[in-house]
Amino acid sequence: MKDKNPLSPHIQIYNWHISSLISISHRITGIINIVIITLICFWVALLLLGSSNYELVQNFFETFIGKFVIVGTVWSFSFQILSEIRHIFWDLGFGFELKTSNITGLLVIFGSLVLTIVILGKNLVL
Amino acid sequence: MVQINLPKNSKVQKGEYYKDKTGSKNIRKVNIYRWDPSTGKNPRIDTYEVDMDNCPSKVLDLLNKIKNEIDSSIAYRRSCAHGVCGSCAMNIDGKNGLACTKPHKEIKGDINIYPLPHLRVEKDLIGDLNILYKQYASVEPWLKISKKDEDKENLQSIEDRSKLDGLYECIMCACCSTSCPSYWWNGDKYLGPAVLLQAYRWIIDSRDEDRKERLKKVADELKLYRCHTIMNCTNACPKGLNPAKAIASIKKMLATS
Repeated sequence: MKDKNPLSPHIQIYNWHISSLISISHRITGIINIVIITLICFWVALLLLGSSNYELVQNFFETFIGKFVIVGTVWSFSFQILSEIRHIFWDLGFGFELKTSNITGLLVIFGSLVLTIVILGKNLVL
Repeated sequence: MVQINLPKNSKVQKGEYYKDKTGSKNIRKVNIYRWDPSTGKNPRIDTYEVDMDNCPSKVLDLLNKIKNEIDSSIAYRRSCAHGVCGSCAMNIDGKNGLACTKPHKEIKGDINIYPLPHLRVEKDLIGDLNILYKQYASVEPWLKISKKDEDKENLQSIEDRSKLDGLYECIMCACCSTSCPSYWWNGDKYLGPAVLLQAYRWIIDSRDEDRKERLKKVADELKLYRCHTIMNCTNACPKGLNPAKAIASIKKMLATS
């Protein structure tokens, strides 16, 4: 028999918090990173086939989309690493207080941006 | 499974608008989720204009005022009105909490009140918590002890007793469990923060003799490890407890034992 009672609204109405936002971003960047690592493998394999392939990829990285992919990749990995460090502390039993977790959450968000800028350095000037 | 959209019969529609009749100048709009099982209709949001000059401070007072003076058909659970029983747990302004302890002054703009998220609605703001109670029973929330020496007190050191602080205060209002996305998607299998906090309360009790069995029972991919530290539970708890930490403590005990 089909239940006639409705299901109460959930994700449609629930407020986002720093921690829930980072949790979902952590998953999304995780999936993106797997795709990126696979692509990097293909890239390396492509280079083995000769210089024309190298130029092909190089030309792609010169475009706006290519540059976006590079910055995005660095940010995605930065975010994943910092968020993973936060998770390690959690697994050790530290940082569960609301205040602490909010602060570490903000550190992850801003830290990932800073790390992206530091890693790319001068190359960031598009 | 993850299902972001609500089923067809759960889509919320616009409801009725109750205009203020008192002529008060201090008016707030209150949007309340309504569903009447006697009609075949979808749930709706009714809007009430409430005279705030004659309304006590908490959201529960607001609901009582609406029920007494504007629309007596509205249904919600409440009992103690002092944050002890946990009956009036609901979703207020996008966050789970107890209506009786939440001041409406803290809410900006219109006040939105929904039942606890992702539950089978019985009527209006009343959600069906049967699954949660069954899960609670499954952790056998009572002291297991072999001694039958009934003349003697079962003593506990101050240090051991202090391990129960932050756990025994839980009133099982379900604010945490119904705030947890993991519990939304896997509520039938994952135990959820409320029940896991209770499980930990018995695991860590120095007088209990069943610790190993309790840990073994809870060590399950779905029952326990669906917790991904989203922290919505700790954010929601109206008693200021930390279910996320309790769950992490169980995980840690399992990893180190």
